[in-house]
Amino acid sequence: MAPTGPGTALPGDLLVELSGITKSYGPVKSLRGVDLTLRRGEVLGLVGDNGAGKSTLMKVLAGAVQHDDGEIRVHGEPVRFSTPSDAQAEKIGIVYQDLALCDTLDVASNLFLGREPKRGAFIDRRAMHEQAARILADLHVKVTSTHQEIGTLSGGQRQTVAIARAVSFAPDVLILDEPTAALAVAEVESVLKLIGDVAAQGVGVILITHRLQDLFRVCDRITVMYEGQSVDDAAIADLDIEKLVGLITRTPQPTRTEGSRA
Amino acid sequence: MSTTQTPPEAPAGPSVQRLARQRSLWERTNKATLVMAGVTLAVFVFFAAADSAFLTFANLSNLATQVGPVLIVGVAMTFVITAGQIDLSVGSIVAFVAAISAQLLVAGWDSSLVMVAALLMGLGWGLVNGWFTAYQGIPAFIVTLATLSVVRGLALFQTEGFSVPIASTTFVAKLGTARWLGFSATAWIALAVVVLGLVLLHATRFGQYVIGIGAAAESVRRAGVNVKLVTMAALGFSGLAAGLAGLLIAARLGSGSANSAQGFELTVIAAVVLGGTSLLGGRGTIVGTLIGALLTQIIANGLTLLSVSPYLTPIITGAVLVLVVWVNLRGRDLAWFVQRLTRRA
Ligand SMILES: Nc1ncnc2c1ncn2[C@@H]1O[C@H](COP(=O)(O)OP(=O)(O)OP(=O)(O)O)[C@@H](O)[C@H]1O
Ligand SMILES: [Mg+2]
Repeated sequence: MAPTGPGTALPGDLLVELSGITKSYGPVKSLRGVDLTLRRGEVLGLVGDNGAGKSTLMKVLAGAVQHDDGEIRVHGEPVRFSTPSDAQAEKIGIVYQDLALCDTLDVASNLFLGREPKRGAFIDRRAMHEQAARILADLHVKVTSTHQEIGTLSGGQRQTVAIARAVSFAPDVLILDEPTAALAVAEVESVLKLIGDVAAQGVGVILITHRLQDLFRVCDRITVMYEGQSVDDAAIADLDIEKLVGLITRTPQPTRTEGSRA
Repeated sequence: MSTTQTPPEAPAGPSVQRLARQRSLWERTNKATLVMAGVTLAVFVFFAAADSAFLTFANLSNLATQVGPVLIVGVAMTFVITAGQIDLSVGSIVAFVAAISAQLLVAGWDSSLVMVAALLMGLGWGLVNGWFTAYQGIPAFIVTLATLSVVRGLALFQTEGFSVPIASTTFVAKLGTARWLGFSATAWIALAVVVLGLVLLHATRFGQYVIGIGAAAESVRRAGVNVKLVTMAALGFSGLAAGLAGLLIAARLGSGSANSAQGFELTVIAAVVLGGTSLLGGRGTIVGTLIGALLTQIIANGLTLLSVSPYLTPIITGAVLVLVVWVNLRGRDLAWFVQRLTRRA
């Protein structure tokens, strides 16, 4: 392994390297060779058209979907995730686009699903609710009770609970698949601030969003996907909105001279 | 990253407590279960008034024995239905275990061995159901419909349809007639199973995952839980419970018959759904199943006392089942309706 990528990154800085990842669902080739790298403390924007394969790629990285070909390296070590818990063990946390919550369980149960605090053989509900309340208060999540059923929350509240769940795992890699789709202005701001905060602590963040202006506020680098392939990778400093739109839509954008097309 | 571990002088002290505060008992109560508790009480009072023999200790003790098998399997079925599955084969497993256990006793096996074998046979059939459902992706409805036929068929084939008597000197037969504090072994064991079910569903990770799987299996899988194993375990549990019920029924009747427990699965499912467990999965209540089992058996017991034709019982059970499923699938509306009626201004 000889990372000869751009910048002056040390090999030890590399959190995640994906190379040549492919995935087919029957005849549908969702991923046809994707490369992606993520460094410690970096915020990577992942963009592409609807159906480009962003969510599928992130499910592969989170162990929820098994890829056909290609290699995943975490901290330089090749890994193979056969279940989501394998990825959790590598400290990869994710907020899924569809959130992956259980409607009939309460807020605390959803936050701790799969890792409920136990006393002996039993779930320690008191501890679970107290810890859940602390997590929600810290992240300023606007719900009224940890006992409320998830199904009775608003879309934005559900999304913030899903984010709180991913963040509370204290991951090394945090994947956010359209985390702000249902959020109000203030909540979007606090998610963007959260991204900056965790990145400052050394977490590598992958952000998928169609709100391009947000990418320019928090990202260090952008990876572009198109029809199941990674087609571009650029530092945010080298881009502006028009160039980025051009990269996503794959139309040559004469951006050097402004207004040449208008 | 320490966003969650240490709230550095977080100004959130009281709000943390407010967030984690337990809701009132009323808010936590399953409203459908509450309605059924009321109905059960009304039916109980009705039969008590209609027939003086109903409210005697002997009859109540008898009622508890009758409820036993339904309750034992109902508790396990609560897990299966809460996980979004169904088990139609429990009646056949009861008959299979009853018949084969009786044959093993006749063949000279010791009672202790036969009891272990009965539980293992039940568990085994349950795991067969669970494996096909969870690991092969065949809907439990189809799998258990098939085993319903196969398992009873095997029992009939093995016994040629004859009822196999159990010698009254065996421990199994004595278990069938034993009484503690006036109640049968079946009744006490059912009580123990209810307690076990309560703890398992509401206080363990297994119960939590069963509920989660019924709500959104994929979400639970992505949380790192072995969903297939939990689903298979739930169906294994209902098979095990059916095995236990089969043994107890054979013990009580003093014989094992491949023709016993016809339609038993419908009674059990009716009891579970009556109690407020959602047929759509994701919501289960053991207390509700207790109430539902009591209700179905009080009706059966009361109708017998009133000398209603025994042929009417399956008709009434079936009708009650349809009614209950109808109400259950509209459960949210019903809960909403009750809430509106009782909301404090
Ligand atoms: N389980 C599946 N079965 C079949 N096809 C699938 C499955 N999951 C994804 N796909 C296909 O893979 C392709 C990529 O989907 P994916 O969800 O990764 O896109 P995306 O880039 O996240 O899009 P969006 O921006 O709309 O979220 C799509 O064509 C989709 O239809
Ligand atoms: Mg997507």
